[in-house]
Amino acid sequence: MTERLALSMELRDEILAHAQADAPKEACGLIAGTGSDARRVIRCANAHPAPVTRYAIDPREQLRAFRDMDAKGEELVAIYHSHPITQPYPSPTDRAEAHYPDAFYVLVSLRDTHPEIRAYRVRDGWVSEVDLA
Amino acid sequence: MTVTVRLPGTLRDSVGGVTKIEATGATLDEVFADIDRRHPGFRSRILDDQGGIRSYVNVYVGDADARGSGGLTTAVPDGSEVMVIPAMAGG
Repeated sequence: MTERLALSMELRDEILAHAQADAPKEACGLIAGTGSDARRVIRCANAHPAPVTRYAIDPREQLRAFRDMDAKGEELVAIYHSHPITQPYPSPTDRAEAHYPDAFYVLVSLRDTHPEIRAYRVRDGWVSEVDLA
Repeated sequence: MTVTVRLPGTLRDSVGGVTKIEATGATLDEVFADIDRRHPGFRSRILDDQGGIRSYVNVYVGDADARGSGGLTTAVPDGSEVMVIPAMAGG
């Protein structure tokens, strides 16, 4: 059975707005919630020195976000980032640098007039798409 | 000194699947060595061949980034929390 990530339209819009605001740079952030249910979006700064083609969430923001999720009884549900001009699919770099097998990876592509948002599991370099509900 | 080490992400595989583990030691080096005794291979997941903290891992003792506060020699106060956070990055 295909896995499913519950990501409301409001949260999708929030991620999309972040991606559009940061373009042409890649936008990135976290999604907190429980299990496969997304509850809120945590925007983060892209700290990578080449932010047009790469992303790296500021480690201090990661620390703050984990503490905040703990305090609210939440878990890390997903990590999101945008591909301003490429497809909504994990790139070779995304696969090589995916260190969170228990989190979903959400990708937003601004390549076309209509932005696309998709979710995946990335484990040991393998990618499997997940349904969005 | 007993501390709590938290391991979000893929590093939990190296300690039997838990995301939180108790360990003892006065410095980060001692804490990692203590975990490695119980879970051989743990140290090599975090440290490179030269014994430095791997570039994809960020280690915090409380709120202090270990890279800026002595690396592996960073003192670990009793009861503190050590967070070992793999990078969230890609392209």
